[in-house]
Amino acid sequence: MHIPDGVIPATVAVGSYVVAGAITAYAVNNVNKAGNAQEQVPKAALLTAAFFVTSLIHIPIPPTSVHLLLSGLMGALLGYFAMPAILVGLILQAIMFGHGGLTTIGVNALILGVPALMSHHLFELLKNRLPEKNGLTIAGFVAGGSGIGFSVLLFFAILIGTIPADMLDVDLERQAITALTIAHLPLILVEGVATAMLVNYLKRVKPELLKGLSDARA
Amino acid sequence: MHGLDQYATLDSPLHRWEARYKIIGLFVLAFAFAFVEDLRLTPAVFAITAVLYGLSRLPVSFLLGRLKIPGFILLGIVAALPFVSGTTVLASVGPISITQEGLASAGIIATRFICIITISLLIFATDTIVNTLKALVALRLPPIMADMILLTYRYLFELRHYLQTTQTAVRMRGFRNDKLSRDKLGTLAALMGNLIVRSYEQSERIYKAMILRGYGANRVTTSELTSGRRDQLALAGLLTVSLLIVLAQLWLGGALG
Repeated sequence: MHIPDGVIPATVAVGSYVVAGAITAYAVNNVNKAGNAQEQVPKAALLTAAFFVTSLIHIPIPPTSVHLLLSGLMGALLGYFAMPAILVGLILQAIMFGHGGLTTIGVNALILGVPALMSHHLFELLKNRLPEKNGLTIAGFVAGGSGIGFSVLLFFAILIGTIPADMLDVDLERQAITALTIAHLPLILVEGVATAMLVNYLKRVKPELLKGLSDARA
Repeated sequence: MHGLDQYATLDSPLHRWEARYKIIGLFVLAFAFAFVEDLRLTPAVFAITAVLYGLSRLPVSFLLGRLKIPGFILLGIVAALPFVSGTTVLASVGPISITQEGLASAGIIATRFICIITISLLIFATDTIVNTLKALVALRLPPIMADMILLTYRYLFELRHYLQTTQTAVRMRGFRNDKLSRDKLGTLAALMGNLIVRSYEQSERIYKAMILRGYGANRVTTSELTSGRRDQLALAGLLTVSLLIVLAQLWLGGALG
């Protein structure tokens, strides 16, 4: 779910850098407000590395296999740290593997980071409002599914909306975005179910992780 | 996994260029390349990239290896453009038409993609990651981000190794990751959860060790980075080239009359 270098116009790339920078500054400001940012940095960094590695695990969806993005889970566990964490992941991916790209770090950070922050708020809201019995499962499913769902929508909207040479008319563009998003529904479902399973696993094994890193006090 | 510092110790003008100036100059050049929308500018963009890569003395095989994986992703986008974009039909077979505008767009996108990836490789492969991060902090990258990049980079390889070991152990116990089912997804979720818990517990030990070594007491200062007149001249040269590319694009695009 990365837009490579050279695909989008420079104006969009520069604009995305500015917006992603502003959102990251807002997120870092919220992290600092928690009062224990320095202590949380190694946790956020190692969890970022863990998410990076975890996304390499293949999930078989015949006839192919997919990798989970886990941006929803990142939002749920890292809170406001999710935005800098995603940025770090994108920078490392760009410079180590050439995935994504240098000029598109801003736009890719928006595609993954904004839905992750939304997932953080959705997870917190649902976890605290829903009944204890299935609340965490539903919150995990919604956070995971919506995280990737919004990312898919943003990805195709930006990609198709910025394709040059007066490509398609507005109706055709809208249809293409809808069709490509619907084609990703199985992935959205799998990501939602996997996130629900993961949060239940973490509740049993390490419940403190579910407090959200940027909200946790030392 | 690929070590970033593989060719960081070579001796070349790009390796000797002070990191802050190099990052600014090449970063601006990458954006100038992204600004190119006219096919007539692509030979110049390729030529500038080739000269800079030649100056860096990085092996060509290193660049080709880096282009391989993202190249597949780009191929899908570029291959579709001549068929779905533009109005001037060059050839058609049944309902499928190849258009001139689509072909031109594909050529421009492919050029920008290859050249920008090459430029980003020049930024990060001609110095050690630590030096590059010091330069980024000096250029006002928030320290939280710099610390996170360094720690993530440091433990990425270790966690990757742990995942491979765990996956082998799971396979040896009869797990086959061939068909999706609730049980198998549960096993994979537990595998992921295990990795997350392990990294979290490890981070607590790392933090204590970092505090013992004075973490947070000292910050990188710009005095650790020294630059000379050559660094400044090289930056001025690259900024001029970037400006010329942007002006040429504006002129060819009709924005400059």
